[in-house]
Amino acid sequence: MVGFSSILGQIIIYTTIYSLVALGIVIAGRTGVFNVGGEGIMLTAASTGFMTAYFSGSWLSGYFVAALTGMALGLMLVLVHEYLRVNQFVIGIVMVIFGAGLSDLLYKIIVGVRLQAPRAPRVPLIRIPGVSTVPVLRALFNHDPIVYFMYAATAIAWWFFYRTKIGLETRAIGELPQAADVVGVHVRRRRIIATAVGSSLIGIAGAYLPIFVTGTYNPDLSAGRGFMAIGIAIFAGWRPQRAILGGFLFAAVEVLSFQLQLSVPGVPFQFFLMLPFASVLLIMVVFRRFIDFPASIGKPYHRE
Amino acid sequence: MKGRSTVARAALVYLASIAAAFAVTMILVAALGFSPWRALRTLVTTSFRTSFGFEETLKKTVPLIFTTYAFTIPFMIKFFNIGAWGQMLFGGTITAVVALTAGETGLPGVILIPLLLTTGMVAGGAIAVVSGVLKTRYGINPIISTIMSNYLAIQFLNFVATAGPFRDPTEGHPMTRRLIAAATIRSWGIVPQAVVPALIASVVVYLMIRHTRLGYEITAIGYNERSARVYGINFNRTLLLTFLIGGALAGLGGTIEVISTQRRLIEGFATTSGAQFGMFGIVNALIVNANPIAIPISAFLMSVLLVGADALQRTMQVPVEAVLLSQALAVLFVVVTRERLRSR
Amino acid sequence: MNNHRSVVVRLKSVSKRFGPVAALRDVDLVVASGRIMGLLGENGAGKSTLMKILYGLYSPDEGEIYIDGKAVRFRSPQDSILYGIGMVHQVSTLVPEFTGLENIVLGTREGRFQFSLTRERKKIQTLSAQFGLLFPLDQKVSALTAGEKQKIEIVRALYRGARVLILDEPTTSLVESEFVQLLTSLRRFVDGGVTVVFITHKIREVMAACDEVTVLRRGEVQGNLQRHEMTKDSLVKLMFMDRNIAVTESALPLIDHVDVALSLQPVLSFDGVSTSTLRDLSFQAYGGEIVGVAAVSGNGEKDFAELPINPKRITKGTASLMGSPINGWSTVDVLRQGVFYTPEDRNHEGVLNEGSIVENMLLGHHRDSRFTRWGHFVDWPRLRLDTEASVSAFNVATPDIDVAIRRLSGGNVQKTILARAFLRDPRLLIVHNPTSGLDISTVEFIFSRLEGSRQAGMAIVWVNEDLDELMMLSDRIVVLNKGRIHGTFVRGEFDKLAIGASMLGESA
Repeated sequence: MVGFSSILGQIIIYTTIYSLVALGIVIAGRTGVFNVGGEGIMLTAASTGFMTAYFSGSWLSGYFVAALTGMALGLMLVLVHEYLRVNQFVIGIVMVIFGAGLSDLLYKIIVGVRLQAPRAPRVPLIRIPGVSTVPVLRALFNHDPIVYFMYAATAIAWWFFYRTKIGLETRAIGELPQAADVVGVHVRRRRIIATAVGSSLIGIAGAYLPIFVTGTYNPDLSAGRGFMAIGIAIFAGWRPQRAILGGFLFAAVEVLSFQLQLSVPGVPFQFFLMLPFASVLLIMVVFRRFIDFPASIGKPYHRE
Repeated sequence: MKGRSTVARAALVYLASIAAAFAVTMILVAALGFSPWRALRTLVTTSFRTSFGFEETLKKTVPLIFTTYAFTIPFMIKFFNIGAWGQMLFGGTITAVVALTAGETGLPGVILIPLLLTTGMVAGGAIAVVSGVLKTRYGINPIISTIMSNYLAIQFLNFVATAGPFRDPTEGHPMTRRLIAAATIRSWGIVPQAVVPALIASVVVYLMIRHTRLGYEITAIGYNERSARVYGINFNRTLLLTFLIGGALAGLGGTIEVISTQRRLIEGFATTSGAQFGMFGIVNALIVNANPIAIPISAFLMSVLLVGADALQRTMQVPVEAVLLSQALAVLFVVVTRERLRSR
Repeated sequence: MNNHRSVVVRLKSVSKRFGPVAALRDVDLVVASGRIMGLLGENGAGKSTLMKILYGLYSPDEGEIYIDGKAVRFRSPQDSILYGIGMVHQVSTLVPEFTGLENIVLGTREGRFQFSLTRERKKIQTLSAQFGLLFPLDQKVSALTAGEKQKIEIVRALYRGARVLILDEPTTSLVESEFVQLLTSLRRFVDGGVTVVFITHKIREVMAACDEVTVLRRGEVQGNLQRHEMTKDSLVKLMFMDRNIAVTESALPLIDHVDVALSLQPVLSFDGVSTSTLRDLSFQAYGGEIVGVAAVSGNGEKDFAELPINPKRITKGTASLMGSPINGWSTVDVLRQGVFYTPEDRNHEGVLNEGSIVENMLLGHHRDSRFTRWGHFVDWPRLRLDTEASVSAFNVATPDIDVAIRRLSGGNVQKTILARAFLRDPRLLIVHNPTSGLDISTVEFIFSRLEGSRQAGMAIVWVNEDLDELMMLSDRIVVLNKGRIHGTFVRGEFDKLAIGASMLGESA
């Protein structure tokens, strides 16, 4: 039997992936941009981030490049929507296909096929003195820097949206963009910034997989998590503080189904692999009463 | 119903985008240090140089037509069915199960084949309707539910191929036993019999959209949901029907892939050529903008490109992803151009 | 031009095009400080566009803006607000999910990273009291009335230091008494040093409120009158100058109202009908009469108009068509019985914008056996024939019936909707604000069709925002207030004041 603390620690790592992606989707969503291209952004950033970390030997620059990659793709998405007036969902889907192609293409060209898969540089764990002996806290806090980054990003996003006037304005865009526009909030500028910032978080989450979780790059390594994060954002009612909760829930399902797969040999493992995806639907059905959308999400805004 | 100029304009947009897609691919290929002219020749001519290449292209065209319709029909009422992939896989999986089970009863092909085609449609339609119901009853965005159903279908297919009673113990890689001959369809020379159901489906879909009341209701909701509701068009019913029809067509595509091309179920098929059909169905649908006549033609051209891309990888070591990438860009070009033309 | 006052705003040869349409051509406008300047014109004359340019929402294609004599360029409202321009829009621009207080502080520059609004609250309360604009500060805006929302919008503009306050059709959802209240507030603004630009299409309001008026027609300035020069005739002339139509006092066409024998049994009948928004309605419409329905917008008139084709909404009572109950029927069932409805919001609820005229003609008739073959197929050839005939009978100006409906003008869209309603000669026609925003010749055409149908024995339920129009053509006027029928007036006893009072819920 694997220890509780170690399972909890594992869940926190997967929570980080899910929550960061969901947070990125939430931030853009609060300005009315529904980013369904997260999967493609994750894949591309995983590829660029991993290669940067591998060749430079610095995990930090890996994450930095991943954030930039995410930002670039996010900008592409929002600019095509805002200036060329293409439906958000259409560009999002194009982004997924684009990312799936680009990630592997870059890796094949730059790294190529090798006998031994390249490994990412070691990422140090940050230990907080005092908590490393307390069982539950140890699992929550004894982690690599990205876990702390995820905690901080969630807290900052919450503070920004619910404790500042500029955040109030940003939420107004997601509710009724014309209302924000007539009082002089730059709708388009905010949408662009929010999508770019959100996408850079998605990029970091994408790179977290090969740099820290697996240590190597594989094709399609996000395995649908970019899509599941959309489910988390919806489940969270587009609130940062709830996105981390949803991320934890989904991470728990994923980690536990993996554990069950090991400990319940009678059931074919494919059914355990189905669990996270099935639970997305189940959770959304069960919690639908708590779900509300920013009123203008997914809709374009133009003055004429 | 559309004027001549609209058709001409649509064709122009389409041709321009194909040209743009080729241009991007060639630039990419050249940037990677390969000869763009050789690559272009490989991409365009592989399908037509050998009879095998041509048959291969048609065999790719057929499922692609079906997955394109699967996306297109719900898209006509502005809903995204990203689940053609899973609906196709599920249809194919159930087909294989039925074919392997019923094959032992010794039913003749004339009964077995229609039975299998129906099976695929029912299976694909059923899994798609679940997404429809999740939308109408629980308000869950079909983008999410169809994507989730893709992953469920992948695992289900892998389960049947690997762990079920249908597994072929003589093969190293997990796969089911081979289907009996009566449960498969063949080719007339270089033309696979599979093109028949594809063409019939195309005609039926065209008639359905343009000439039936249901088609009108779908069109009306696509134009303006609120007006359509005001005048008594049942939105939920239409939504469910679009998912049912779309899913059934995807499922039929899965059946045909299994009984015509694979002739068994292979683990991992879902994420190789299966994924291609799912993804390029969406690409194709977005490029031709739900135009039912253009879909088969465009699916064929896209298959030429896919077959060419495989050859490109084999002969010149140009990664297949280069084509994927340029296709994504092609979609972007087309939708942007179309939007520009429309807003004028 | 009053020379003693300084000029606050000057717009110089402003032009603006939207695609092929010239919305404004070479418009000059001078606004003197401390006055109420009217901006008068029909819908589509360019009033709102001009003011949205001044507010920075649109940028002009040509022309300059001067504030206090200084040339300025506004790229967004953020810029114009800095120069003291404030605007209250025709449709509410408040975030329904936010409170009044949150809405007012939205977009202000100070304290962008703070959240405590104590200081702001004080300042807003002072402003409200000063100008007599009281409303709840901490309730979600979605729970407030149209009048309260308007007050919030005005206070918001003032809070942000507006010296020039633009009010775009501020009376649309107000009743008479609220209008009088608004007039008082307007005077207080002027006393407080605020200049007001008052956009309206109603001559009466200009005469009641404005010190000066500029009249626009089809994007061009027709003239400028000082208070002492304003007469009804002079304003009507400026608004409608080149029309060869006999303009009546209220600028409405004259239609003869002929006596018609009513059908024996009511075509539509409500017997104690309630829904979630309507209470205990008892109402009949007979063949051969036009029943006008008057209400201040938001008193259930939309639900009333939709009720006959949505009998499933009924929670209590009985609705009947030609004597047979229709409770529980679907929209399609009702439409098949010869009922047709034309909604108020024609672009969003009445037509399929992207569809062609033929495709639009089928909407609502798509389950009619006349246009289907073998049950499930659409009989396009027959529909095309009927559409051709109908489009020419209703003078829809279009090259052919395959033109997308969004390419037609508002008047032609409305004619198409009416043509569709008459495609199968309905027994009951329900029309909601059929004339709003249309030019006078189209209004006249619609009136003649309504009167013609009445004479042909059709029952017509006409829900309308313009009481003057209703009084011209209705046989009876039923007044809705808070979802109830509050009064019924019979032709010959129409009294504008009495009906207005009833609309406000006051008993006669």
